[in-house]
Amino acid sequence: MVIDLLAQTFVNGINVGALYGLAAVGLSLIFGVMKILNIAHGEFLMVGGYIAFWFFTLYGIDPFWGLPLVAIILFLLGAGCYKLLFSGVAKFMEETKIKNSLLVGFGLFLIIPQIARMLWTADERAITPAYSGGSFPILGIRIAYAPLGGIAVALVVILGLHLLLSRTYFGKSVRAASENWKAAKLMGINVDWTFLLTFALGVALAGLAGVLVGLTQVITPAVGMTWTLKALIVIVLAGMGSISGAFLAGLILGVVEAVSAIFMGPYTIALGMVIFLVILMFRPQGLFGKV
Amino acid sequence: MLEVHSIDVYHGDLQALWDVSFHLDEGEIVTLIGANGAGKSTTLETIAGLLAPAKGSVTFDGVRLDEKPSQIIVQLGVCLIPEDRGIFTGMSVLENLELGAFNKRSRKVKDESLKFVYEMFPILKVRSRQVAGTLSGGERSMLAIGRGLMAKPKLLMLDEPSLGLAPLVVKNIFDAIRKINNAGVGILLVEQNLHAALRLAKRAYIIENGRIVQQGEAKSILSDEQVKDAYLGTR
Repeated sequence: MVIDLLAQTFVNGINVGALYGLAAVGLSLIFGVMKILNIAHGEFLMVGGYIAFWFFTLYGIDPFWGLPLVAIILFLLGAGCYKLLFSGVAKFMEETKIKNSLLVGFGLFLIIPQIARMLWTADERAITPAYSGGSFPILGIRIAYAPLGGIAVALVVILGLHLLLSRTYFGKSVRAASENWKAAKLMGINVDWTFLLTFALGVALAGLAGVLVGLTQVITPAVGMTWTLKALIVIVLAGMGSISGAFLAGLILGVVEAVSAIFMGPYTIALGMVIFLVILMFRPQGLFGKV
Repeated sequence: MLEVHSIDVYHGDLQALWDVSFHLDEGEIVTLIGANGAGKSTTLETIAGLLAPAKGSVTFDGVRLDEKPSQIIVQLGVCLIPEDRGIFTGMSVLENLELGAFNKRSRKVKDESLKFVYEMFPILKVRSRQVAGTLSGGERSMLAIGRGLMAKPKLLMLDEPSLGLAPLVVKNIFDAIRKINNAGVGILLVEQNLHAALRLAKRAYIIENGRIVQQGEAKSILSDEQVKDAYLGTR
């Protein structure tokens, strides 16, 4: 009986953890490449969720079919935000850049939820296709369809991102610009353009995570900061510069939170922050990061 | 081929170059000599498009470089190998070389260029799968030059390629520069190792406190008493 409970909790943890991982990957990509800490990452995630909600309720588009559409819209939104707000920050030296990008991100964190309240009200919204409550049993554990689909999407996206960064010329130019932007310029890489595309890609990844959040949990205008924090914890846990590491760390955080909820109840929320502090104190390079 | 016409360049509010003019003809080796902080690297970075001149012009094969972003300048065939080499230490040697051929013009002939580079520096072929951060100083220099060649440059600018290298490695590097030049590539060389640079170059410019103070045939500069006193340390 206890084994069943633990196993079920473990599965639930994986379900949530895949979303943590996906949310963190976009933030990690943006921070790793241009040293911009976008604390409005969770807000973009929320917008992605709401757009998928609109697609579903207004046009009856299944959220899984809506994923590519949301990705494209968020990509354009990200590109616009970068051009308008972040490109001016990108010119500064590293330390100033992090500070100023925090301020810009904080501004977005104040503005986007207000717009969301106007457009979608403060009520909780969820995307509820016919299969959203469905599940099937394996060995006494119930596997729900929607989160399972979410995990599959997350895996495909992470794998695709990994191939994009390691195999294509675009991906190599992104890594080159993140390592040494001056040398990248001397290679003939248009670094400004690479930064724009990377930022837009990171925002699109947040949007994808948002769709899955809308499908398996709920979206409210205030949900953004929660997800930014989760993503930050995951990045610190994983260490910088590791895409698959960020995803794995997301799964770990999801499972640890779920299992500890059995014993700790509502105090689980603090657990993530404790992990955050402990990792920063004793292993600042993260679990999978390089020194 | 390259015509730098009375440029003034600033780092923020600080002026680094005053009215600098010089030129480099087709297939020539020209060297820029000066003390630390005289403005040699600034000059090269301005030509490469990392810095913009406040006044004056840079022209290459009739095209104004000072109005172009750095990626277009590389596309036109002007390539800078920076003083710190600018190796991507987290990527493999092969990936570094591939990035050298990033622009469309050189990407088409990538495989040929790679063969040429491997012939010139066989060690890079041995190390091709290795992460570039594990290379020795000499190997990094070779990688930087090889990566520059991948861009199929018409003009190669080298910023102190011998810096911090053992004498034997320096000789290798200078042999390589001569070979590259024999293949028809113009060379603009900035060096601390004046004897080697002046023996390699056809003409030289001396830069002092951001101004060109002397110019001439490399041979005559090598025998110039004043230059000897100031830079060659014969006294």
